[in-house]
Formats: sequence, C-alpha cells, structure tokens
Amino acid sequence: MDGGSLLLLVRAAGVSLLLAVAAVVSGTGLGIALAGLAFSGLAIVRAIYRAWVYVVRGMPVLVLALLVFYALPAMDLQTGPYVAGVLVLAIYVGALFAEVFRGGVLAIPRAQWESAKSLGLPPWAMLSKVVIPLVARYTLAPYVNVCVMTVKASSVLSIIGVWELTFAAREIIERTLAVFTVLGAAGALYFVLCFGIDRTGRWLERRLMARGFVGEPA
Amino acid sequence: MRLTSWFATYGPSYLNGLVGTALTALGASIGAILWGCGLLLVRLAGRRWGSGVVDAYVQVFRNTPVLLPIYLIYFGFPLVGLSWPAVVCGGLALVLQNGAYVSEILRGSFKAIERVQFDAARSLGLSPWNTFRKIVLPQVLVYSLPALGNQVILVLKDTSLLSAIAVTELTMQAKLLTEQTGAAYEAFLVVALLYLALVFGAELAFRTAHRALHWSR
Amino acid sequence: MIEVRGLKKAFGGIPVLRGVDLEVADREVVALIGRSGCGKTTLLRCINFLEEYSEGEILLDGEPLWYRHGPRGRRRVSEAEARRMRQRMGVVFQQYNLFPHMTALENVSLGPRYSQGLPRAEAEALGRRFLERVGLGDKLHAYPAQLSGGQQQRVAIARALAMRPRVLLLDEITSALDPELVGEVEDVIRSLLAEPIMMILVTHALRFAREIAHRIAYMSDGQIAEIGPPEQILESPRDPTLKEFLRRMR
Repeated sequence: MDGGSLLLLVRAAGVSLLLAVAAVVSGTGLGIALAGLAFSGLAIVRAIYRAWVYVVRGMPVLVLALLVFYALPAMDLQTGPYVAGVLVLAIYVGALFAEVFRGGVLAIPRAQWESAKSLGLPPWAMLSKVVIPLVARYTLAPYVNVCVMTVKASSVLSIIGVWELTFAAREIIERTLAVFTVLGAAGALYFVLCFGIDRTGRWLERRLMARGFVGEPA
Repeated sequence: MRLTSWFATYGPSYLNGLVGTALTALGASIGAILWGCGLLLVRLAGRRWGSGVVDAYVQVFRNTPVLLPIYLIYFGFPLVGLSWPAVVCGGLALVLQNGAYVSEILRGSFKAIERVQFDAARSLGLSPWNTFRKIVLPQVLVYSLPALGNQVILVLKDTSLLSAIAVTELTMQAKLLTEQTGAAYEAFLVVALLYLALVFGAELAFRTAHRALHWSR
Repeated sequence: MIEVRGLKKAFGGIPVLRGVDLEVADREVVALIGRSGCGKTTLLRCINFLEEYSEGEILLDGEPLWYRHGPRGRRRVSEAEARRMRQRMGVVFQQYNLFPHMTALENVSLGPRYSQGLPRAEAEALGRRFLERVGLGDKLHAYPAQLSGGQQQRVAIARALAMRPRVLLLDEITSALDPELVGEVEDVIRSLLAEPIMMILVTHALRFAREIAHRIAYMSDGQIAEIGPPEQILESPRDPTLKEFLRRMR
C-alpha cells in the first residue's frame, strides 16, 4: 500500500471521527430529552419512551440507516449523506444514552433524594446541584462506552455510500487488491480512535476520583 | 384480497431472508459461544501468557468495527486460495468478533463464582481438563446465561451487515425488493418489524431457558 | 411543640399506622422503639412528609402541616409550601446522607445557600460554625469518601442543624456504624440536649435512649402501645408485647 492511500485512510479516519463527535453531541441532547420522558408523571409518556427505545435498539443500525436514508427524500428533504448519517447515528446513540442516563438517575440512593427534599431545595437547585452532578459521575463509564460504540457504528454508514474510513478502505481494496494491508491500516486507525476514547475516559475517571468520587455508590 | 396477494408475491422473498438471518445467527452464535469457551480455556490454561494473549485479542476486536473482519475474510481469503461461500466468510467474522465478547462475559462469571468449588474438584483428583469440562464450564455458562442472551441478540443484529457481501438474509432481501419494486419504504419497514420480532423471540427464549435452568440448580 | 393526632396510613391495603397520637413538647427528646415493621420509621417519615398519610393531622407550633382542610375535603399543600415546612425539620438517615460529590462544608452550606437564599460567604460561615460544633472543624474540605462513617453522620447532623430547624428527626443514625464509631455520634446528640430543639429518634440503642430521652414511645402494630419516662418503659413495662420485646433485646 502506497503513502497516498495511507494518507487517504487517515483523512477518512478524521471524517469518521467528526461523524462520531457530531452524533455524540446531538445524541447526548436527544438522550437527555428522552430520559426526561422516561420519568414523566404520565404513564402514556413513559410507555412511549419504552417503545421508542425498544424499537431503536431492536433493529440493526444498518436497517435504521436505510429507513432514515429513504425516508428523507420521501419527505422532500434533500440533505447530504453526512447530515443524514449523523441523524441516523444520533437517533441510535440517543436511545442508548437515554438508557444510560435513566440508569444513572435510578442509581441515586433514596436517602439522597430525601435529604435534598428535607433541606427544602427548590427544584432548579436540586437538579443542578445534586441530580446532574451525581448522574454525570455515575454514568461516566457507560457514557464513554457508548462513545466508542458510536465510532464503530459509523462504519455501517459506508454501506449506504457515506465516505468515511470503511468506505475509503473498501474503495482502495477494489482498486489495488491490497486487502490485508489496507484493512490492517484501517483497523489500526479505528483502534487508535476507540482505544484513545476509552483511555481518555479512564483518565477522566481517575481525575474525578481524586476530587470526590466516580461510579455507582458502594 | 390485497393482503393474500401481497403475501404471495413478496412472502417467499421475506421468508428466504428470515430463514437466512435465523440460520446465520444461530450458527454464528453457537460458534461464538464455542470460540469464547475456547478463549476462556486459553486464558486459564496458558499460565503466564494465556491472559495476555486473550486480552490482546479482546482489545483488538473491541476497538474495531465488525465490518472490517467481514471484508478481510471475504476479500482476503480468496487471495490465499480459500474460496469459501460468502455466508461462511461472514459467519466466521461474526464468530471471531463476538467470541471476544463472549470470553469477557465468561471471564466475569468465572471471577464471580466461588473458586472454592473449582479447587475442591481439583483436590478430588479430577484432571484439569475434566475439571474445566465438568465443573467450571457448566457453572460459568449457566451463570452467564442472561449476558449470553444479550450477546446472541447482538449477533442477530450484526447479521444484517452480511448484506454488504451479498449473503441471503433479511436486509439483503429488503435491498433486492427495493430495487425490483421501487417501493423502498415498504420493504425496509417490513424487515425492521421482522427483526424486532426475531429479537423479541430470542429474548423470550433466553428468559425461559434461564428460568428453567435456575430451578434445576 | 409537635402534635400528631390520629395518624393513619396503609401501604397498598396493609395498615401500617392505625391511629397514632403523640405530643412532643418544646426541647423534649422522644425515642421511638419497637420491632421492625411496627411503624416507627413510617411515623417519622410521615412527620416530615416523606410519606403521605390517609388520615390524621400533624401540627408544628400550632400550624397544621402538609394538608389543608377545606370545604371540599383534604388537599395537599403546594410544593413551595411543603418546602417551607420541611425547612423547619431536620432529618438524618441511617446512611447515604451526604452528597458524595461535595465537601463537608459544601454539604452543610447547601441548604442555607439555596433553600434559605443566604449569600455564599454567609452560608459558608454558617457551615463552618456547625461543622466545628460537631467537632469536624478540621475536615471542612474533605469529601464524604474520605470520612469515616461516624464523621459522615456528624456532618449530616451539622447539615440538618444548619437549617435551624425546630425539630430534629433521626432515623436509626447509628445502626449502620461500626461499634467504635457510635460513641462520637452519640456525643454530638448528647451535646444537643442544651439546644432549644425537639428531637424524635427512632433507635434500637436502648441504653442510649434511656440516657437522653425524656420519654420513650413503644410502638406495636401501627400504634403507640405504651409511652412514658425511660425508667417506666424499660424497667416496669406494662404492655405485654413490650415486655416480650425487652426480653428479646437483652
């Protein structure tokens, strides 16, 4: 494999990373909104949440991507492949994040809810000073996990024609037949991205550990 | 009637896909579980290097998307003289990838189960291989059943990626039908529903199996 | 003073409180004892409205709490009202009181700062005072994970006191502690006897209850079966179930 191809792969890895970052950012927002639904006072809203999460997680990412890619033109929305790709990933990852956040809220010991209530904290203070910091610390590890899953899921978009690392690799293979080196390089690039995200997460955990704690209560 | 004529026209295609998905998922799941057990054996028997080797293997497959091994085997094996059918190539990739996750599940269960039992078996004179086969493995597998059920569902969903190498399964059929009829949306919706049904069925099967096995313990 | 009149509560059809009457005078300490499931913890939680109750009244210094009785029957007070009422009571639970992501000082100043609206400097000064009061003036910036169980419970007491409540509700606050840490918490409670504050404590520690309680209430099957000064309850009990309970506890 020549230097030109390698450079192409590195650029494509950058595209994959950008796709993942965009998906994680929008997916986090979506996840927070969905998690809010999960704790709604209305039973029907909670049921809608459960149904949505079940459906999004129950089908393969590829099928979800195909549905979205074909639904957009049907609704007269002409977006580029990248916007559509980020949308697919955001929907998928949003449901995963929602479950992570929901788990985090449920992990808060009852005595902490009741202590906050007994102190007479107004709702906004309870949310910003107690709930959100606790949930953020409980969910750090699973959150990082989902981020890694996002990078891996982005490779599925190659099947629909989005140009990113897997697509670029396949392109080069069909041109040069250097299957093992090209896929080896692509694999190494994905490894660097995913492993890097994982290690960053662990470093963050250690920093938080020193400042107080992180992870679920004992 | 519209419904019966729809079934007659498209039914066989979907059925083909359904069978393809189910069989591939079944084969790949069994393979992944066996391979995961093998990796556990390597970890336990390999003394100082066993854990290192398996850990490295797991890290590689944890941090790369499953499409890469699929392409590697499908495009690469013919270059070294192995012309296997696409479904075998894809299935092997799924086994290698998911076997890594299975071995992690089994490792977690192994650590959670009382070591005393295993040591007791050894002191009764059972050979290491027999201890593994008759005492360690069965308990670890039963303990891991819920997590293994989850993994099988992941395998099921991963089979959709084999459509990229033209294996007959649900997503492939959906793509074919879309090209034939131009009614893109319908095919993908039906296939999505079928996947949800398969996942539901698999979950049900594993819950029942877990309950049944738990009673007998 | 606190007045509880005819309190009734059921958990899904099973009655847990069958009509409880209790009066706690200013500066009085009342201990609630009884077997598990007798309703003592539920009573405490109703007083603070952590549990709803179906019948009865709770009054603090003459003001009815938690429900308003109107022409159309009984209605819960608004959330804002409930919050105001709650600030007049301090609660300490058995464990997991403190917010683990905040230092001791931050935990104690949280209420004064956000519930009572004190500016940060004042809230922190208040927090410092109460932490010194419980003997933890040197642990202001420690996180709960760095404190022993006994120290955590003391911070929790300081946090409750910082709100200047009329009554302190203590739910088995030493039950989860290693034995050698119980003493430091009991010392703090003992030191509060001089304060103008009421205390209701649910406890299994009969020796401690005898020492600091003005009255002990023995609960059985959702009611106060016998109530009186510690010598009477612990040495000359009249209620047969109480006798049995004391026999078991020896």
